[in-house]
Parts: sequence; structure tokens; C-alpha cells
Amino acid sequence: MKEQPNLLSGQEPPDFRRKFKIIGSVFLIALSLLLLRLGYLQIIRGTEFRQKSENNSIRFRNLKSLRGLIMDRNRVVLADNRPSFDVIYIPNKNKGNELSIEKLKNFYRTKSLEFLYDQSVSPNAKSYLPVKLEKNVDMEKVALIETNALDLPGIYIEVSPIRLYLDGEMLAPVIGYTGEVSKKDLENSAGKYAYGDILGKHGIEKIFDSYIRGHNGAELVEVNVYGKEIKNLGRIDPVSGYNIVLNIDADLQKAAGEALAGRSGAAVVLDVRDGSVLAMFSAPSFDPNLFNSGISYEEWEKLQNNPLCPLSNKAISGQYPPGSTYKLVVAAAALEEGVITSDTKVFCNGSYTLGNRTYRCWKKGGHGWVDLHKAIVESCDVYFYTVGKMLGVDKIAEYAKRFGFGGIAGIDLPNEKSGLVPTKEWKLKRKKSSWQMGETISTAIGQGFNLVTPLQLANAYGAFANGGTLWRPHLVKYIETTEGKLYKEFLPEKKGELKLSPKTIEILNGALWGVVNESGGTGKNAKLSGIDVCGKTGTSQVLGLPENEIARRAKRLAAFQKDHALFACYAPLKNPEIAIAVILENAGAGGAVAAPVARRILSAYFEGKKKNKKQ
Amino acid sequence: MIFLKFDRRIFQHFDWTLLGLVLAVCAIGALNIYSTGFSAGEGQSSFYLKQIQWIALGLIFMMMIFFIDYRVIIQNAYVIYGISIMLLIFVFLFGYSSHGSQRWLGIGGFALQPSELMKLVIIITLARYFDDHKSNEPYKLQELFVPFLIILAPFLLILKQPDLGTALVLIFIFVSIVFFMGIEWKSLIIVSTGVLISIPIAWHFLKDYQKERLITFLNPENDPLGAGYHIIQSMIAVGSGKIFGKGFLKGSQTQLKFLPEQQTDFIFSVFAEEWGFVGGLILIIMFMSIIFWGLKIALQARDLLGTIISFGITALISWEVFINIGMVLGILPVVGIPLPFFSYGGSAMISLFTAIGLLMNVSARRFILQR
Repeated sequence: MKEQPNLLSGQEPPDFRRKFKIIGSVFLIALSLLLLRLGYLQIIRGTEFRQKSENNSIRFRNLKSLRGLIMDRNRVVLADNRPSFDVIYIPNKNKGNELSIEKLKNFYRTKSLEFLYDQSVSPNAKSYLPVKLEKNVDMEKVALIETNALDLPGIYIEVSPIRLYLDGEMLAPVIGYTGEVSKKDLENSAGKYAYGDILGKHGIEKIFDSYIRGHNGAELVEVNVYGKEIKNLGRIDPVSGYNIVLNIDADLQKAAGEALAGRSGAAVVLDVRDGSVLAMFSAPSFDPNLFNSGISYEEWEKLQNNPLCPLSNKAISGQYPPGSTYKLVVAAAALEEGVITSDTKVFCNGSYTLGNRTYRCWKKGGHGWVDLHKAIVESCDVYFYTVGKMLGVDKIAEYAKRFGFGGIAGIDLPNEKSGLVPTKEWKLKRKKSSWQMGETISTAIGQGFNLVTPLQLANAYGAFANGGTLWRPHLVKYIETTEGKLYKEFLPEKKGELKLSPKTIEILNGALWGVVNESGGTGKNAKLSGIDVCGKTGTSQVLGLPENEIARRAKRLAAFQKDHALFACYAPLKNPEIAIAVILENAGAGGAVAAPVARRILSAYFEGKKKNKKQ
Repeated sequence: MIFLKFDRRIFQHFDWTLLGLVLAVCAIGALNIYSTGFSAGEGQSSFYLKQIQWIALGLIFMMMIFFIDYRVIIQNAYVIYGISIMLLIFVFLFGYSSHGSQRWLGIGGFALQPSELMKLVIIITLARYFDDHKSNEPYKLQELFVPFLIILAPFLLILKQPDLGTALVLIFIFVSIVFFMGIEWKSLIIVSTGVLISIPIAWHFLKDYQKERLITFLNPENDPLGAGYHIIQSMIAVGSGKIFGKGFLKGSQTQLKFLPEQQTDFIFSVFAEEWGFVGGLILIIMFMSIIFWGLKIALQARDLLGTIISFGITALISWEVFINIGMVLGILPVVGIPLPFFSYGGSAMISLFTAIGLLMNVSARRFILQR
């Protein structure tokens, strides 16, 4: 088919050369067009462009978007925006701008204002890039700079929105805070963030940042020699972020915060009917507004070095031995497994001996003959040592996991910890040694290796209260657009089921009611008139803590050996609505210290409900 | 005996002019890249060194291609085409992204951009096809269907990356070669009508930023930010160079980094700012010389195959020069097309030198091939 090579030489079609002439002319015309354009730009308009380049007259200005509002369940605004005035300096050697900073200092001096140039704001800044001299200055400085603008070439005020947290300290553990994008984030963002962007750094602000942030706009302006805008070349308006509506009830949150004032610990309040988080506080808290315009080094150090760890949300990141609050799990397991009945009696003489070790009951004299009801109401340890030994650690673990322990609850917050539910296998794998029976004894009263977070504790009691549904706790109720249209709703999400028989539930409901309402109950301090509160106290020994936990708290040596006080409860007994877990670090006995805190929160909840009804 | 004769003659007709012109442009380009990195931080400042390495590597490729008779290469055109398509599919599957576009294959620490190679592969594949199907009559629509399919596959794969600039270059090469080979009037009219109708449909598939760029070009008032910013800054840089330029390493727009991607797509504005109209004029004349030299090779080639190859390569260089400089000067939309031999980039440099090797190949063998 092919004759190779087929040569055209000498026998080219007559129009072959003509074709090349045409092509050549087209190329010549095209390239001449470029030359003409080049000449037009460089010769005819050259002087104009030279001037523009010298004035560095085209400026690209970021217009920061407003972050979406964060509101409580009643649409009370918790996080808003306010303007921040920053002093900006654009060096331009051509115009002698370098004198401006000295002049600015002089102006400040006459009004005895301090010049707070923060070198760290823009280290290694290139000599021609805008420098942020001062962030978030007060109106006095703004006025001073604006009125003397002509004497201060290269210096001007830039306005951008920053967060304003109303009642910030109360909500910091939940909402978190914002801050400027870090160098690391900037590098990893693949162009998503720009230098100076504000991001959510913690809490809701972080998890929902992509919704809250909105989109920055930008503006292209031409400025004159003095940096004054002479022409707006275009603008893309910033788009505000979406609003977040939380399940949190701001009043209840405040009550929780006040109840925990002066303590170190956490409280979690859940709606047992759907897992929504009504309040969550971690004490001590901090003022998230500190972070808005860049926290100072001293303040940061102070927060970081505080042994009470104000920056960590103890409700989800704090892991504690559950102490006697764990007895609910062990009792449920024992009843379900048929190891005991409600009538099974154990004699408590104040201690329990296994091999050559003696395990004490908290009550030195002992409780005498106790059945399950009394064992829970009076929190008899010996009873549970006995039951625990009968069950074995792995059975306890099986039920503990059903109650949601040993795994994250899946709340919409960062840094949730999973706690620990020990099993034989776990010990062999982690500690490289076999399980000791004595460890089962400790496990049965929530000591030993057991670790829970306050959130898990509240969720477990909530699941028990509602008849057995373990919900995934969620803080955010819904997200709405800036115009207030519903964008995304977070419906209750089932995580698991306790699968307890109605009989078991009935027996334990009675016992937990007794803890609070019977004369010998350890949780009397949580009793609320008119409301049937059920709960369980816990006092967990710190000495059994894993080494790293001890190390974490070693800074407050004097106090750290003191017991943690715990109280978990739900109310009302009939058709329960809320579950609460309170943990106070190194505060003493649960019944004496934690129960009153829970009571304050309970009373705030039911008071608030009454008030709402009246309205 | 024959082999020796062959060898000697091929060197006798080595195209020193073309190589000299290309290397001169490369040298100015490398100097220019040095300037863009001059005031930048670490890492950026070594671009020019890498570029010199790419040029050296390109020369090796050029020589390798030069020695193999282009007809042997063309015999394998479809295999080469198949491999290149595979590479593009690999990019689609395993390639990595930068600036929101998945264009690169990581091969042993190097980033290969197969779409750059595809420009050349398309030329030899089309050359093979038209050489196999030569005709003294203008081509009819149905005869152009297969060549159309040949470019459609890489076009779609590259458009998907997304890399509108390179995809457009493929179309331009195709159109240039088809026009060069001749197309029937009737067919031309049918195709033009078809294209006009399909534009709105194609529009639908463009990415937002691509639409934005096109809109910016068609109506600069619409979005003076973003793409508009690039054009304005680029024009200020070029214009402020005036007649003699601000001098080497002294372009304030360049040194102040007002220009985005200045070592790649906007490299010409750096050059024009520092060397002024005089520099720009000389550079454009150099490009013009390369292009006319390429046309000369195409005209003098001993067979149709050689003519198509050299014409295709010349067309490729012409389109890229015209579109890139036109974009920098604000008369064409901002699409990512590099300036040949001038912009920073390894894959493009190697691909271009390979193309030059082919041109020389055709040029040297015009005296050797016997009837």
C-alpha cells in the first residue's frame, strides 16, 4: 500500500510554495501584532506604567468575611463579630516613609500612649510588604492616626472583623476560640488559607470552621503616592459564614459554670431523650477573647503552665477512675447474667480478703448484711467485690462497653478521649502480664485501670435512664445560612443499646432513687424537692492512676493525692429528661462535694423549665 | 561503508543555526529565571540552576532523536502515541496535583508532565496518519475523522486535569496541520458550524476558574481581581520597562513579586520589565527566526513526512510564543501556556528539545535520502 519513500522534491504541487508564503505571512503578522502591542505598552504608555510601578500603586486588599454567629438553643448569641482596628505600615523607600514610624511614636508620646509594635507579627517581613504594626488598637489611637494621616505617609488603619465572645469564659470549653492561621496550617492547606486568615482553633469553632468561616473577599485598588485610594479597580464582596445553633442552653451552661466556680473539674448535662448536650463545662475556664487578636506571650504561658489545665476540656479530654459510679454497670451485669438477684445478700464487715490481701469498704465498721438495693444506696464496696469476683473482669468489660465506656462517644468536638475498660486480653497486650484476680476486685468498684470521661459517664447514665438507648451526644442542633435558612440539621443518632431487661432497669432505678432520696443514701445532697432525682456517688482514689496521669498532675503535689469526687444522675425518675455527670478533681468525697454541684444544675434546669412554661 | 558515509553526511548537514538560535533563547531565559529568584528566599533562587540542568538534559534528548532516522521514529508513531496516552491515564489515576490541577507523575523524584510530551507526540502521530493517507485532493470530513479521534483522547484527558492551555495547544496543532494538508470547503463550513454550536455545550464543562479567566479576558471589567490582577500587574511590569528596561535584576515589579508564576507563564513580563522594548524586540525577532527557520526546513524536506513533522513543530512553537506573549501583554486570555525555551519547566524543555532534534533530523536528511 505504501511506496516508501515517497518524495515530493521536484514534483511538489504548484501551490506548495504559495502555501508556505501564506503561512509565513500569517506568522509574521501575528508576531508583528505582539511587537506593536509591546511598543504600545512600553513606549506610548511606558511613563505612565513606570510611575504606577514606582508608587507600587496597585494594591490587593483582602476583605475578611464575617464568621457565622454561634447561638444557643434559644438563639441567644454566644459568639458575634466586632471590628478590630489594626495599624498598617507600608514601607516605600522612594517616598521617605521610614520617618513615619518615628513620627507616629512622637504622636503617641504627646498623648502618653504606648507604642506596642509587635515584631513577632511579621518577622522577616520584606521591605516592601505591608507590616502590621499594632493589632486591635483602641479608638484613641485610631483617631490620632486618622487626623494626622497626611503627616504619616505609609501608615493607615485597616478594619477587619474579629470574634467577640459574649460570656466567653462560660462557653470557652464548648465553643473554643479563633486565631490567625499558623505557619504550619498555612503550609499544609494547599492554598485553602491565606496569610492572616482567621481560623477556628478549638471547640466548635474548629470542628465547624468550614461552615462558620465564610469566604474572604478582596479588593483591587489603585492608590496615589500617599497611599490614598484613587480608584477602585474591582471588588469581590466577602461572604459571611453560616450560623451554628447549639443544643446548649446558655442559662443552664451558666448555672453549671457557676456551680463549678473555684473548682477543677467538669460537668456534662445531656438530654437523655436524644443525646443533645444541654451544658458542658470544664473548670477552670479561660477567656477565649484573649485569642481573638493574638494572645500575648505572657498570657499564653500563664494558661499553658497553669497546673489546672484551663485550656483542656476536661468533660471530654479528662479521664478519671469512675469510682462507685461504675457500680451501676457492675450491678446491671450481675443481674443480667444471673449471678445475683435483687435478694442476694452479702455480709460486709468492713473489709474483703482475697489471698493475703485485704480490700477495704469505705465504711470502716462495715454495712452488715446488704442486698443489692442497700449496696447501691450506701455504696457498699464489699458487696461489689464479691459480685465482681463472680462476674469476672471480661463480663464487666462487656457491659461497660455497652454503656459506652472504653470508646469515644463521638461528640462534635476535637480531642475527645476514649477512656479505658480493662480486659484480660488488654492487660496481656499492654502490660505484658496476666490478669490478677485482685484487679477484678478493684475494677468492680471503678478503681484500678478503669478510666472514663465525664461525657461518657453522663451518656451512660442517660442511656440507662431512657430505657437503654445509647445516643451519640451532639452539641450542634443545626446550621443555618446567613439569611437564616436551615442548611443542615443534626438529628439524634443511635450509637448502641444496653439491652437490659425491664426488671433489671426497675430494680436499679429504685436503687439509684434511693441513693438520693433514702435516709442512708450517699447522694442525699442532690435531693431536690418535687423532683425524683436518681443518681450515684463516686469517690475515686487518685493513687491508682496510671503513671502518666500522675505526672500530669504532679505539679500540684500537695493536692493531687486527694480523691476525685464524682456524681452521676438523671431526673425525673418517671420520663427522665436529663442526665448529669459531675467530676471534681481532688475535691474529696463524691456525696459531699459533687452531689451539691449536680443539685444546683438540676435545680437550674427545672427552674428554667418552669419559667419557660409560664411565658 | 554505507554506515560511515551516512554518519559523515549527517554531521555535515548538522543545523548549527537552529541550535544556536535555540540555545541563545535558552540562555537568556535562564538568566531571566535567575532574576526572578534573585530576591526570593531559599529554594526559589535555585530555579535557574535546575533550568540549566533541564537544558542539558534536553540537548541529550535532542541528539538521541537526531541520530535516529525520523522515518523510523514515525513508523513507531502509533506505539509512542499509545504509551503517551497510557501516561496521561496514569496521571489521571496516580498523578499528583499542584495549584488545583493534576498534571504530574512522580518518577524517581522527578515530576514528569506527560501533557507536555503529548504536544510532540500528537505531531508525529498526525504526520504518520497523513503520510499513510496522502491525497492530492483536499481532505473530506469523513477522512478527517480518525485524526480527530487521535487528538480527542489526549485532549479530553488533559482538559480533565484540568489544563485548558495545553488542551487548546493540541487543538491548535491539529487545526494547523489539517489546514496545511488542505480541507474541502464544504467540510470546513460544516465543521465551523458544528464548533459554533458546540461552544455553549463545552462552556458547561469548564471549571469555574477557567470560565472566570475567559470572562475576564472577554470582559476585563467583570473580574479585575484574581486573573485581572495578574493581567494588570503584568501590563504594569511590561510597560514600566519602557524602551531600555530597568536593567538586569532591577525590575521592581519582578523583584517585589507582584507577579504570580513569574518563572513560568509570566516570564516574558519579567524580561520586558528589565530589558525594555529593545530586549523584547530582540527576543521576539529570535523567536521569529526560529519559526521561519522551521518553515524553511519544512519546505525543503525531502518527503511529505518530513514536511508535516517540521511544519507541526513550527506551528507548535509559533502558537505557544504567540499565545504566551499575547497573554502577558493583555491581548489574549490567561491560559497556562509556557513560553518555549524560556519558561521554567523540565518536561516542556525536554519535549521542545526533542522537537528540535526532530527538526534537525529532517533538516540534515534532506540531502541524504535517495529516491
